[in-house]
Amino acid sequence: MKKLLLCIALALPVFAAKPISIKGSDTMVIMNARLAEGFMNANPGTQIQVTGGGSGVGIAALINGTTDIAASSRPIKTSETDKLKARFATTGFAIPIARDGLSIYLNEQNPVKELTLAQIRAIYTGAVTNWKQVGGKDAPIILYSRENSSGTYTYFKDNVLMGKDYAPRAQTLQGTAAVVNAVAKDANGIGYGGAAYAKGIKFAAVKKDDKSPAVLPSLETVRSGQYPISRYLYLYTRVKPAKEMKAFIDWATSPAGQEIVSKVGYFPVK
Amino acid sequence: MKVKLLIITLALALCAPLFADDAQEADDTKPKPTPEEVAAQVESQGEALTETRNVVEILNRLKITGYIQAQFVDDERSRDQLVTGGTRNLDQFSIRRGRVKFTYQATPTSKFVIQPDITTSGVVLKDGYVELTEPWTPWHHTLTAGQFNWPFGYEIMYSSSNREVPERSRVVRTLFPGERDRGLMLSGLGLNERFSYRVAIVNGTGTASSSDLNQKKDLVARVGYNFGALDLGASGYRGQDLVATATQANGVNFDKDRLGVDFQWATPVQGLLLRGEFITGKQAPATGTTRTKSHDVDGWYFYAIQNLGTKHQLVLRMDEYDPDTDVDNNAIRTINPTYIFHWDAHSKVMASYEFIENEANDPDDNVFTLRYQFLF
Repeated sequence: MKKLLLCIALALPVFAAKPISIKGSDTMVIMNARLAEGFMNANPGTQIQVTGGGSGVGIAALINGTTDIAASSRPIKTSETDKLKARFATTGFAIPIARDGLSIYLNEQNPVKELTLAQIRAIYTGAVTNWKQVGGKDAPIILYSRENSSGTYTYFKDNVLMGKDYAPRAQTLQGTAAVVNAVAKDANGIGYGGAAYAKGIKFAAVKKDDKSPAVLPSLETVRSGQYPISRYLYLYTRVKPAKEMKAFIDWATSPAGQEIVSKVGYFPVK
Repeated sequence: MKVKLLIITLALALCAPLFADDAQEADDTKPKPTPEEVAAQVESQGEALTETRNVVEILNRLKITGYIQAQFVDDERSRDQLVTGGTRNLDQFSIRRGRVKFTYQATPTSKFVIQPDITTSGVVLKDGYVELTEPWTPWHHTLTAGQFNWPFGYEIMYSSSNREVPERSRVVRTLFPGERDRGLMLSGLGLNERFSYRVAIVNGTGTASSSDLNQKKDLVARVGYNFGALDLGASGYRGQDLVATATQANGVNFDKDRLGVDFQWATPVQGLLLRGEFITGKQAPATGTTRTKSHDVDGWYFYAIQNLGTKHQLVLRMDEYDPDTDVDNNAIRTINPTYIFHWDAHSKVMASYEFIENEANDPDDNVFTLRYQFLF
């Protein structure tokens, strides 16, 4: 009898429910971990594993079947949808989980307080190289950027640089936290990333053009569209979410989940 | 002797921490570095890091991908000794494809690609081209020069590593042998990335010959539109083949034209994908012909692919090729059921059976393939 119980105990993990895996955006990894934690506390039988790597890595994992959910800080590309279609006969399902004001990080000692979109573009494409060209002190601008598998990198390139290439001297760092850390230590540094990462740095108020008001990212300015660089953060699934996956996504978009989104520093979708 | 050696080794291992402490004490007696020395060391580490980062950035531009397909084939023609040529046996283990693709993205607008196929039959160049992409318009028009896939239809450009059956359909294999040619191609993607075009001027000889056999160059193009779950495409090819005839040993240029339409549809049935293509055209006759004109040919293929979860795929492909539409009862049809098991993101195993029916003369020539593929 004891042997039988032992066999059953050893076999149990085989029959245990498979954890839901979420992989992708480094921007979203803290938020997703908090959401998973909150959901698992409310639903003890469900396991959710959260890993980062970048939006591109998450979507590639969705295409090759190694994750259930891809977290992405940019919309899926047509080339990625084509691969998903060819492999799994689906164009995927996008669930906006939060809104983000893509923020411009400056060192707290930097006298510059606001930048126009054109100035940010000129800085990151290498046309402007000294802070005095945008109203700051006479010092070189040190550019901090993300690696090209990052959704934030792609979104910033498409929507701020308008498709132009980053200046070659931009230093690529892995993860938004690394960008924030670099800018916090570098008086001449500038970086970009999610609004939720704000320790030791200040945000530049962003102007759509010379005549527009300078706006800082906040719930009101992002929701009203006044802040000019806002984006959705998405969860992507291969098929229409069902069972535990649906329960998790429903919970993440419910008031309880959206409260966690706000606590992390992003903005609710509803 | 061995036991003694073991005891000495164990004793030395146990005493190692004692010697380490002595070494630590010796280190403690050394003068501590001054803040200036520490700052200099940090600066030198920073310089080393910058140099390493520069090297890593250069290496990041080089991407190496590839796949290997190891397989066992059981071919009925071996049993009935129908195979012509040196060997009458086709039942064998082999490496069907061994591809390594080197892509060097020098800048966001220029790219170098070379892809050899390394198998037991030798090394053959599959792809070898350079790409230049204009950065000024959202179409990102791209100029490709070298050896590349003919921009025609769907199956030619669909990688063998992703294809759900072992080989391309008979119509594609016959009308586009080797799937590649040498030339110059212009391509682009626009209208919210829904419309794509590719137009190329090529030798028209394919890759079987190292040189172009005639002076004339061929034109080939495809346009496609993505409606979301449904993709539609139309392709055209216009060129000529130089063929030595019974009366002209130096060869005569015969028309080589093809028109095709293709579709791919992710159906509302979960996991079910349908794909198909119809090709019609004019094909040059074989060497030594008494014909004076090309003959009409046509063919089609149709795939139904059902995904069962993320690991299993059931596939049914049917295809037909009519080598001369003016001659009755000479079409060749194939029904090709296949099962694929995706072991992980890199490995898949495929079991496939081809029922081949030849209207003119139907020998026992069905083929079973068991294939393992590793992709990286």
